[in-house]
Amino acid sequence: MATSDEQAEKEYADFEARVKRTIYIDHLSPLVTSQVIKAALSQCASVASVEFIVNYTIQYDIPAAALVELEDESQAKAAVDLMRDFPFIIGGMPRPVRAMHAKPEMFRDRPSWPGLKMEIHWVTEGDPEYDGMNKLKRLAKRQDAENMALVKNQLEEEKELAMQQQESLDESYKKYNMLEDIVRNGKIDNLARHYDMNLTHD
Amino acid sequence: MDGSSKNIQFSWGKRRSKGGAKMDTQFYGSFTFDNVKYSLYDCVYLFKHGEPEPYIGKILKIWEQNQAKKVKILWFFSPDEIRSYLSGPVMEKEIFLASGDGTGLADINPLEALAGKCTVVCISKDERNRQPTPREQAVADYIFYRFFDVGNCTLSDQVPEKIGGLEVNDLLNPKDEQVTSYTCQDVQGVDQKLGVGLVAPLPQSAVKMDNENLVTAVIPPMSDAIPLPPAVKEDDKAKAAAVSLPPAVKEDGKAKVAVAPLPPAVKEGVPKPTQNIPKRTEKDYSEKMPSKKLKLSQDLTSQSMAPVPDVKVRPGPLEPLTRQAVDRSKWFTPLPWDEELLAADEGGRLVYIQNLDIQFGASDIVELIHEALQQSCIARPINHPTYDDPNNGKAYAVFRSKKAADAAILKINSGLVVGGRPLYCSKGLLKVPKSSGALVGHLTITNQRMGQRQREEQKKAVSTSHCSQPNTIEYDLALDWMLVREKQTRKFSILHKKHKEERKSFAAKIGK
Repeated sequence: MATSDEQAEKEYADFEARVKRTIYIDHLSPLVTSQVIKAALSQCASVASVEFIVNYTIQYDIPAAALVELEDESQAKAAVDLMRDFPFIIGGMPRPVRAMHAKPEMFRDRPSWPGLKMEIHWVTEGDPEYDGMNKLKRLAKRQDAENMALVKNQLEEEKELAMQQQESLDESYKKYNMLEDIVRNGKIDNLARHYDMNLTHD
Repeated sequence: MDGSSKNIQFSWGKRRSKGGAKMDTQFYGSFTFDNVKYSLYDCVYLFKHGEPEPYIGKILKIWEQNQAKKVKILWFFSPDEIRSYLSGPVMEKEIFLASGDGTGLADINPLEALAGKCTVVCISKDERNRQPTPREQAVADYIFYRFFDVGNCTLSDQVPEKIGGLEVNDLLNPKDEQVTSYTCQDVQGVDQKLGVGLVAPLPQSAVKMDNENLVTAVIPPMSDAIPLPPAVKEDDKAKAAAVSLPPAVKEDGKAKVAVAPLPPAVKEGVPKPTQNIPKRTEKDYSEKMPSKKLKLSQDLTSQSMAPVPDVKVRPGPLEPLTRQAVDRSKWFTPLPWDEELLAADEGGRLVYIQNLDIQFGASDIVELIHEALQQSCIARPINHPTYDDPNNGKAYAVFRSKKAADAAILKINSGLVVGGRPLYCSKGLLKVPKSSGALVGHLTITNQRMGQRQREEQKKAVSTSHCSQPNTIEYDLALDWMLVREKQTRKFSILHKKHKEERKSFAAKIGK
């Protein structure tokens, strides 16, 4: 019936509009709640809704991600630009989050695409395409494995970077602490005298 | 999860006699439960906790005693239940009425165990049976003409004189043509109550039914009036579906909303567990529930009140009822989906499908399964936008029974190709590690000498967010991360592009 097609199209059009206003944020800390995101983004946009992505397929410990629907498209653009040009940090330092424009396939409960044509084809042993299809299947499986390997590789890289940063941070912290101590308890004057340097207290 | 029985609408209908040893039993001729009107000799569905398929029965008696509302149900058997006693062909939608004496003939159940009405038409050529019109037969949910004697376990098409102490006349077709009471009045204005959920899917599903195989089976002139599949696909609420039907119905002039192509051959692949007849007695009937809510409700004996689940949980049991590709994906809100996954995995009903086109939405996948396998299921795409390869769409599909899931896996793996993509699938939930709690890369400062106030501030720091300023150490570190990330993104996009090219050239090579 004509109306139902129109309905489907309208629904999809609404959905597309929603997609345009939504941004996808990842590299989020799992500790972050929707409240936090709302507060964080309040600087540049007002948040209509937050939907966290549940991980069903990646068998590693990955950062959280969320689809954040904003008020309108321009806000979405502003947010994405901001987070691309500056490191935007949500809940925990120093790793910034990443934001990009949402795409329809990110929404797990998206409506059916009105133009979708599903051609179903059964292939059995003996059909000329049987081997070909099986090879394609194997290819798909191999590609998936490759993808997972890359994911694993990335995650390990991240861990290393985190460790490095933590180490250097600890060192810096110790250094600054020490400096502070010395200034506080006056030892710095002794040191200055020892090294024949002039200290100007201002 | 009890105490919600107050929420389900109920009112008594026609009163009949009083009885019982202490004259404390009131018999009734009809009642309205959850906005559906039930009368004596109506055919109804009942669910058993844990069973995917409902039982079908006929109401023989209705009464209330000591605040408890009961119904006596005369059972119908499905072909699977009496498979070992069956020989010869079984008609489409055929069920068998219990007869004779013994266990398995009839049971007393709490009224709250009823899960809706259905139409069962008797097509026996016996003179006592009013012959149904072809249309009646076509639109009915089920038909019967044979009787299964529970005493000596024999099948017969001879109409017995009495069943369960009642004249058989009452049990055959009602004298006037059944104008099914699933009229729009019942259905409209009810939000998510059982009535709509139950009734609407019947017409909705009928309408959603894909034309090909099944409409051919449907003779009626109604087929023109039926708003065909596209109409119902998009409806978010069952209510809308019901509303879309009235126009069709009006054209026809009859209030017969129980439209057309119904249960038919969908029975394949979803066999009910064959049971011994004795099993039926002393059963606890409660709403079958995949979701947690009803699992919490405890066992009942047939004497006590069935814990009535929350109304909003009701859509669950309706799945098997419809047996059609009702757009159940629309009934799900995020929470029940996750619970559904766990429950389905436990029950062996969860299938993990891969290599789909990533454009397919949940309803597309449901439709795909339906078209390809004639099975109904709930499905959702589950790709992770950051990490999953967009060339390979993944989804979880939950089937109604373990057998259905197993059958589906076999069939899909044997060679289902959609749009040039061969699908493959496996059973069960992927093991995904639980999140470790903090993000890799969120650094902490180990510090013994923190003042109390500082410690508190640090705790609160999780909820502070800001744009990093260039004059801090944090800024440098953050930049490191951005660099790493940019590299990552590029690596992924290169890989995914490569995959895409590989697939294209491969497909070209095999000449598809």
